[in-house]
Amino acid sequence: MIYLDYSATTPVSFDVLESYNKATKDYIGNANSIHALGVKSKILLNSATKQICDLLGILEEELVYTSGATEANNMALKGVALAYQNRGKNIVVSKLEHPSIYKICEFLETQGFEITYVDNDSDGLIDFEDLKNKIRSDTILVSICAVNSEVGVRQPLKTLRQIIKKENPDTIFHSDITQAIGKVTVNLHDIDLASMSSHKIFGPKGIGFLYKNSKVHLIPLIHGSGKFNELRSGTPPLPLIVAFSKAMRIALNDIENKEMYVRKLNSRLCESFSSYEGIKINKTKYSIPHIINISLDNVKAETLIHALEEEEIYLSTNTACSSGDLSTAVMALYNDKHRALSTIRISLSYVTTDEEVSKFLNIFKDKYKMLNDLMKSKEE
Amino acid sequence: MEKLVMIKYGELSTKKDNINFFLKQLKDNVSFALKQMDVNIKFDKGRMFITLNKDNFDEVCKALKKIFGIYEFDVAYKLDSKNEEDIKKSVLELVKKKEFTTFKVQTKRSDKKFPKESMEFNRLMGGVILKSIPNVRVDVHNPELLVNIEIRSDGVYVYFNSEKGIGGYPVGVAGKGLLMLSGGIDSPVAGYLAIKRGVKLECLYFESPPHTSIEAKNKVIELAKKLAVYNNNIKLHIINFTEIQTTIYQNCPHEYLITIMRRMMYRISEIVARNNRCKIIVNGESIGQVASQTLTSMNVINETVKIPVIRPVACFDKLEIIDIAKKIDTYETSILPYEDCCTIFVPDHPVINPEFAKAREYEKLLPYEDLIYKAIKGHEIINITKDDKVEFSDLL
Repeated sequence: MIYLDYSATTPVSFDVLESYNKATKDYIGNANSIHALGVKSKILLNSATKQICDLLGILEEELVYTSGATEANNMALKGVALAYQNRGKNIVVSKLEHPSIYKICEFLETQGFEITYVDNDSDGLIDFEDLKNKIRSDTILVSICAVNSEVGVRQPLKTLRQIIKKENPDTIFHSDITQAIGKVTVNLHDIDLASMSSHKIFGPKGIGFLYKNSKVHLIPLIHGSGKFNELRSGTPPLPLIVAFSKAMRIALNDIENKEMYVRKLNSRLCESFSSYEGIKINKTKYSIPHIINISLDNVKAETLIHALEEEEIYLSTNTACSSGDLSTAVMALYNDKHRALSTIRISLSYVTTDEEVSKFLNIFKDKYKMLNDLMKSKEE
Repeated sequence: MEKLVMIKYGELSTKKDNINFFLKQLKDNVSFALKQMDVNIKFDKGRMFITLNKDNFDEVCKALKKIFGIYEFDVAYKLDSKNEEDIKKSVLELVKKKEFTTFKVQTKRSDKKFPKESMEFNRLMGGVILKSIPNVRVDVHNPELLVNIEIRSDGVYVYFNSEKGIGGYPVGVAGKGLLMLSGGIDSPVAGYLAIKRGVKLECLYFESPPHTSIEAKNKVIELAKKLAVYNNNIKLHIINFTEIQTTIYQNCPHEYLITIMRRMMYRISEIVARNNRCKIIVNGESIGQVASQTLTSMNVINETVKIPVIRPVACFDKLEIIDIAKKIDTYETSILPYEDCCTIFVPDHPVINPEFAKAREYEKLLPYEDLIYKAIKGHEIINITKDDKVEFSDLL
């Protein structure tokens, strides 16, 4: 099997799973209980949280565990909207967001909020001038993802923050950093709110977090005892948190060298794809090396994916969360419907090997040729 | 030139014949604090020098800010030559890397063999900087960049803006003391202040399970850990106080509960202190704060022991104590809401002005000597290290 869909999800690493199992077996107490078993769990919970916070350079009270990035995005956008609606009802988002952001925005529109979309240039970089113009005195939130999930364009969060805060110091800056963390360095101090999930960094599914700068006030979406966290009640899922913490430590370790390695794999793939006539590489100078997006001229992306699947090679059309539609990111980049119609995303990780890349390229060549010839013969 | 850290002693330098005793202790403490950072330490009567084998100045400086006995420290450059022209050249090279518009040169010449006097050298060096770097001027009152040049017999040292240390005496020079650590806000602060004057602390905690929880005990361990940073590790004695406390409760008039309980605690503390060669007891009592801390209460409670009892926060307001607690990072832990043995069995109206005679008489109702012996015998001792080792290394 060759897995090239690491941006959709990653397999749980063996060590992380070991921790998950051990925490499940040996720490049965509810971390909210006051007896010895509860306290034992609580101490482990605190250590796991502290490790994550130390790795990210944030305070423990600034971290809220969620079921994943989608919930964190909901908590951030709706939480801000509810808390600050007296100040204004305008929210600014980019055209390169994860579908969950757009769905939340659609909902907020029904609640009387106004959503403004900020433009980007042909390299995918947010148009600074446009951002400046779109931030108004009633703009309560700007949400721009750190790395786009389809084409991997990375935004300069620090600069964006400076622009936003200069225009309106009260505007809160949220970023979905799910595709960035563990791949490239992210400084959370550039952002007020950040969403991420564990399953993109070889951790278990079902856990993620929202980073919340202590100055930001949110209205919780899930109410409860508030014992574990006022913003997100419920019994702390200790094994998930422990596994998440471990996955985070492993992911952030030696991150620069891992990125360099993936960059090499990326070059090989791009070099190969550029030799095909009917393939366009949707890559800009701001794309991270882990994501390679290509548009197919003649071949249907979905068909190619199923053809590759026969050889146990797994990758995605645009993103796992938005399959079937036009690629919004490719549209935002090139404004070319045809190009956005049939796209494939190959996503790499530092565990991808050179041999896997070679084997993939060989099989891809055969399958592509087969489908391309078929389409051509159809036309004739 | 060589980059190093230079430490200034402050109050310690007023010591005369026994200064070496203080400095040796300081050196031991510094090397203990920096033991994983690969450094070499040298000292004389005026300065201590730390040379680093790696470029980890930030880490070293952070650690130095938690060592008592250091008045000030600087990241300094030791120049290769004491020749006047070479000094000018090297200083200029260093200054050029800085961004500033106003500056001042401050020379200290402890090596009187150096031909130029301090004032004269200030003028000379200032002139060189003015001539070589455009758009800067001298400001002797509020300079952005203070260029310190120390001409010492072993070499010339240059440093810029200094960092303040936390002062005090090196831990250990005063001998050992036993801190009655409760888990509240005051006692960790009292401990910190005692450590500041060079007292090496051990801690004593009274637990009353099941009336007090493991969480309360863990909280005290956490507090001891925070103090251990300043104390080079810490030994925590844990006394099971349940039997004594319940016996008092069952036998003595309730308005005297606290008075008698404190008398027992004092007695136990004195024995533990003596057994561990601690010369004083330290606690967090503050005059008038609660019924057991009125002057009359202090008299009646204190009469049970001969050992000196030091109360560093006796004359502090609560808010002043809280300020220090926040500074030393114990406040957030202290306010965690767990019962400790002073908050259980609290009578509705504790006596504010207890009488010696009554306290002595009520005490006779219980076999306290046996109970104390039992509590101390085989009590739990935890050695707490400041090393922030990752717990659960197998899981995380």
